Amino acid sequence: MSWRFTPESTGVAVGLADKEWKTLAAVLDQFRELLMIGADPNLMRLQPPARLDDAEAAQEYKAMTGDQLLRGRLEAIELIEAGGARTTLDDDAVAAWMQTLNGIRLYLGERLGLDANYRPVDKDHPEAPVLALYEWIGWLLEQLIEAASHTLSS
Amino acid sequence: MTADAVDAATTAVMTVPTVLPITERTNYPIDDIDRPWLVIVWDDPVNLMSYVTFVFRKLFGYSKEKAHRLMMQVHTEGRAVVSSGPKEKAEMDVFRLHEHGLWATMESGQR
Repeated sequence: MSWRFTPESTGVAVGLADKEWKTLAAVLDQFRELLMIGADPNLMRLQPPARLDDAEAAQEYKAMTGDQLLRGRLEAIELIEAGGARTTLDDDAVAAWMQTLNGIRLYLGERLGLDANYRPVDKDHPEAPVLALYEWIGWLLEQLIEAASHTLSS
Repeated sequence: MTADAVDAATTAVMTVPTVLPITERTNYPIDDIDRPWLVIVWDDPVNLMSYVTFVFRKLFGYSKEKAHRLMMQVHTEGRAVVSSGPKEKAEMDVFRLHEHGLWATMESGQR
């Protein structure tokens, strides 16, 4: 198997085939649009209430941090796009890739209503293509986590 | 805590008077749990276990072992306290956890 992410002394090397990059770029584009419109209820998972004991405080927290959180997500997408399919990721770019891949996965998981009993691809599932995308994103994320573990101390 | 540290602590407890003067008592390390705000991470079916462990290590500088233990606690018990401190720190920690897509909340530890 050819890994898409490999550790390097200066960070993590990413190497996606052109077709993979094209797919990912289209997904990034759609994810950005979803984030900017902000109306999809499945996006709730990306900013859960910070307080369970105090709805008013939770609302205040959301008002205080929501814009910054959204801005960070949009900037992360831009950073991935700027780097392209074959490049070396520094710490910021690793974070951008990781948070974005995970964010897309969370969104898709929420949309598919996946629970802990979920099992990989059931071809008869009406959303099989979305499930396949969910798994592919997860496959990329797993590799990135492994390739980036050397960037952590201890 | 290492076995040596446990031994040292046990010895210390057995050799000091039961009631310490206030000044001496404050010299004892205060458990993080006693501080005012707690940051909680909740279990969810989507986040990868390896990802959650990675995020704990990265954001809080925890060792691989501690991060793994906390992740397992989230997974098996449904939630774990991952950090604590003043309200502003808790708010910042929740923000960074949300940036990484973890399901984090904060609550006052004085209940």
